[in-house]
Amino acid sequence: MSAARVSLLRALLVLAALLPLPWRQAIAAQVDEIVLWHAYQGREEAGLEAAARTWTEQSGVRVKLVAIPFGAFASKVETAIPRGNGPDLFIAAHDSIGKWSAMGVVEPTPQLSADGLRPELMEAVRWGDQRWGLPLAYKSLVLLYDPTVIQTPPTTTDALIAEAHKYTGGGRYGLAYQASETYYHAPWAHAFGATPFDAEGRLVPLDSDAHVKAYAFTARIARDEGIVPQQPTYESVQRLYNEGNAVFVIAGPWFVSDVDRPIAAAPLPWVSDAGAPARPFLTVDVAYVAGQAQHPDEASAFTTWLAGPEGARIRQEQGGQAVSSALVPTDDPLLKTLEVQSKTALLMPMNPGLQGLWESEAKALRRVMRGAATPSQAAHEAALYWEVVSRPSPPAVSPWPYVVVMVAVLLGALGWLLAPLRDPDFRAKLRRHAWDYVWIGPATVAMVLLVLTPFVVGAGVAFFAHDQGEFTFIGLRHFTDILFARDWPLSSPLSFFYTLGVTLLWTVTNLIVHVGLGIALALILREPWIRMRAGWRAALILPWAVPNYITALIWRSMFHVQDGAINALITLVSGAKDPVQIDWFGSFVTSFGANLITNGWLGFPFMMVVTLGALQSIPRDLEEAAEVDGASWAFRFRHVVWPLLKPALLPAVILGSVWTFNAFNIIYLVSAGEPDGTTEILISEAYRWAFTRGNRYGYAAAYALIIFGVLLAYSRAANRLVGRKVL
Amino acid sequence: MATVRFQNLRKSYGDTHVLTGIDLVMEEGEYVVLVGPSGCGKSTMLRCIAGLEDISSGDLFIGDRRVNDVAPKDRNVAMVFQSYALYPHMTVRENMAFALKVAKRSAEEIRVAVDEAARMLDLGHLLDRRPSQLSGGQRQRVAMGRAIVRRPDVFLFDEPLSNLDASLRTHMRVELMTLHKQLGTTMVHVTHDQVEALTLADRLVVLNKGVIQQVGSPRELFDRPINTFVATFIGSPSMNLLPATGHGATSTVDGVEGTLDVPSDGAFTLGIRPTDFTVGEGPLEADLIVVESLGSEAMLHMDLGEHRIVARVDEPQSFQSGDKVRLRPNKVHRFSAATGERLP
Ligand SMILES: Nc1ncnc2c1ncn2[C@@H]1O[C@H](COP(=O)(O)OP(=O)(O)OP(=O)(O)O)[C@@H](O)[C@H]1O
Ligand SMILES: [Mg+2]
Repeated sequence: MSAARVSLLRALLVLAALLPLPWRQAIAAQVDEIVLWHAYQGREEAGLEAAARTWTEQSGVRVKLVAIPFGAFASKVETAIPRGNGPDLFIAAHDSIGKWSAMGVVEPTPQLSADGLRPELMEAVRWGDQRWGLPLAYKSLVLLYDPTVIQTPPTTTDALIAEAHKYTGGGRYGLAYQASETYYHAPWAHAFGATPFDAEGRLVPLDSDAHVKAYAFTARIARDEGIVPQQPTYESVQRLYNEGNAVFVIAGPWFVSDVDRPIAAAPLPWVSDAGAPARPFLTVDVAYVAGQAQHPDEASAFTTWLAGPEGARIRQEQGGQAVSSALVPTDDPLLKTLEVQSKTALLMPMNPGLQGLWESEAKALRRVMRGAATPSQAAHEAALYWEVVSRPSPPAVSPWPYVVVMVAVLLGALGWLLAPLRDPDFRAKLRRHAWDYVWIGPATVAMVLLVLTPFVVGAGVAFFAHDQGEFTFIGLRHFTDILFARDWPLSSPLSFFYTLGVTLLWTVTNLIVHVGLGIALALILREPWIRMRAGWRAALILPWAVPNYITALIWRSMFHVQDGAINALITLVSGAKDPVQIDWFGSFVTSFGANLITNGWLGFPFMMVVTLGALQSIPRDLEEAAEVDGASWAFRFRHVVWPLLKPALLPAVILGSVWTFNAFNIIYLVSAGEPDGTTEILISEAYRWAFTRGNRYGYAAAYALIIFGVLLAYSRAANRLVGRKVL
Repeated sequence: MATVRFQNLRKSYGDTHVLTGIDLVMEEGEYVVLVGPSGCGKSTMLRCIAGLEDISSGDLFIGDRRVNDVAPKDRNVAMVFQSYALYPHMTVRENMAFALKVAKRSAEEIRVAVDEAARMLDLGHLLDRRPSQLSGGQRQRVAMGRAIVRRPDVFLFDEPLSNLDASLRTHMRVELMTLHKQLGTTMVHVTHDQVEALTLADRLVVLNKGVIQQVGSPRELFDRPINTFVATFIGSPSMNLLPATGHGATSTVDGVEGTLDVPSDGAFTLGIRPTDFTVGEGPLEADLIVVESLGSEAMLHMDLGEHRIVARVDEPQSFQSGDKVRLRPNKVHRFSAATGERLP
């Protein structure tokens, strides 16, 4: 193709892009492709692919499948779709419908045929007085067991406990499941009547009798009976089962494809203490037509077909899904079990704003499991906590006074900036340097876009309260709430000042560890008797070179109460007969210590490298002179080395303290604030307010702004001290 | 006050042998000067005494104490480093007071000692400056002062006067001699300066490639150098060395006419100091190449046969390059042609 033609083509393409929307849709209609986002993996993904191929053969419309990691899925659809960058349809669980319908992420689809779909599953797509997409498949926890050991699974919890005892001991557990997670506690809780909503749709108080009984039951089955491993994770349960060290497992159907030994399924047992069946949560995979879809008609057609008998059969046979269509029966024992279980299962609520509820319950459950509170105490605290986090936004206030103040401040700032312009000398200088300003232009634009704009937007959010997608202007209310600790006593982990105290303690202790270890190692590395100096140096820098979240996750698992390397090491060193089981995240001191050890490990190499560099600039003969003059090692360090090291170290210390102050990764990944949020620092607390306590973005932004203020004041003060050579 | 005794002391860095078998006794109260070419191991010897270098083999005694394994801080020696090693973050006063502070002396005692040393070294007006605000010579004096304020068993000076101008150097030499007389402490002094070596030393130690060549009083070394190395190293300008052949009662310089009254047999090396010539008459004739005038005297650089020699004269004006000059050696030294050792 000649160059002229290429450029003509390019011009046409640009023109096409500029064509008015209706035109584009008309053209697109002939393109015959729709885009579907999903988070399926493995067999389910294969099933979906097979179904999409069949649909393409039948209808001529290609379906482009885009797999998005599960963890990123929700935020991806929530950001992309409202901006018009989304797919035509997507598949996700039903429980976000409340939120997504309000945000315009999903389209109402009253027109889609629900023929042949199980009516109780249609409830999963009904919200408000609308229907949103169609249910494809459903999932819930079931009882899984090792068929090589168990012939007939128990049908009551008493029988399950008795049976499990038989297989417990010597590293083997009768029952393995993630007992401290609310999702796994839910089947028992619901059996006792501790459901989120009662029959009339009212919230059940979190300190109801049912909740207390349920906590007590979980504490018994998962802790007191000694048949369940402590603090299990999904991976550890999976490992136990694969090693043949777990006989019963409570998990969802996904677990089956994650193990490589024979496994069988049965419905969860009748809860003997409650006199009712266990009722796990039921989640339904829904095919949604996305908001602002390019091809809503094609998307609707595919959705109907995919949910209907033809699509369902393919997904069931090739994807192994428990499908929503009543028209495709199955012989598969697992799918049959799921079907039975779905009869007692409780549909996961779709109401937005329940995050805080789950967090309240999770806190209580962990406290009970840890033995830090009785079930009724824990339930009582959970109720109080929920009351606070679910409190409606503060009342709106008039923004005008703020606008006036802001305009005044801006004008003042502008005047202050422009005042020198009246000076002809200054103007001449500007003209002389005109090109210099042009050269730094791009960088300035980038800074404004990437740093200043997010900052200003973030700061602005702090003046609004956020509730279910609605922002109300409330002025300085968040700041006063936080700074006057209006909601909690100062000693509560939820109060700003408590967390500030922890953060300061955290920063100071870390710096002591970093600087102390860094200097000590640098001094040792300099000793003449050290062999393979370069090797040691490289090895000691390694902790710094590994991405810190990986390190944090490794340390977290090393602190595990049962499987952790640290406890194993303590057992070994102390020579104790029984394995030492320190619950590292069970008390403030040990949990804080675990964070400190992890971050100490991550932080000392930086200080060591800085110290090594600084030591290099201290002539060796200074120390020798002091040595000849009779000075002891300590005296030499104190009066010769340290004073010369200090100026080089100080900027590193200031930098390090700011990093540590905001070491979100470590807190979030290692202690996660355990126990009871006592080890949270300001930045991770801000995160909690934004993302796990009902999306209080405004409150979190106010936190962030206060953190910014604290750090700004600190660095100003530190710089001043450095400048005055006080430090 | 103490003796310093080396017994077959060796120091090597891996395969680099810096000191090879040093045997030496520095008597109590003696002023010992170490000389030798650059890199011969003088600083290393001082650092061994101070304890800053581990001894590879052999023994070192300070007084009666074997100090091989004694830490520097416990040896009670004071050292002036070749590089001064002043503490950059301390004032001159603090630098000088450092050792006394370590020894936990009273503030008053420290002040008196520092002021005394500062007066002697003419540092009084600099006491509140930091090292970075001093000239090289001033720094060197502070380094001296830091050693002087102490009362150690042994002083170690590593080229302490190298950066001073001529008059200050003369002044300091006198001060050092006075100090030595006052304290009577053993002092070990490394220098490149002939005058410094010859004026200060009770005993001079000539070192070459880690081996002691000769030990003795300056006079001894000047008058009876034990080998050609010492002969050329001590005295400025250096001794002329000429290959010569002895014929019983007389000798000749190889390739040169003229018979000398030097009894010898066979080949040997003839050494004549530039100051030991009578110029204007004698058995040898040389071609004058350059006249190096030093004011009242001059050095004549001449070719004797194919050998370059130097002679000193008192009346430079009577010589011009290109002249033929007759010479008579007044005092000669004889060295073995094979080993360079002095012949009896
Ligand atoms: N760490 C070392 N490793 C190897 N060789 C060394 C080391 N330190 C010194 N040397 C060698 O030891 C020899 C003696 O060094 P020293 O500093 O004692 O010389 P010096 O006589 O003081 O010389 P100068 O008059 O130049 O100060 C030198 O040849 C030097 O290269
Ligand atoms: Mg030296």
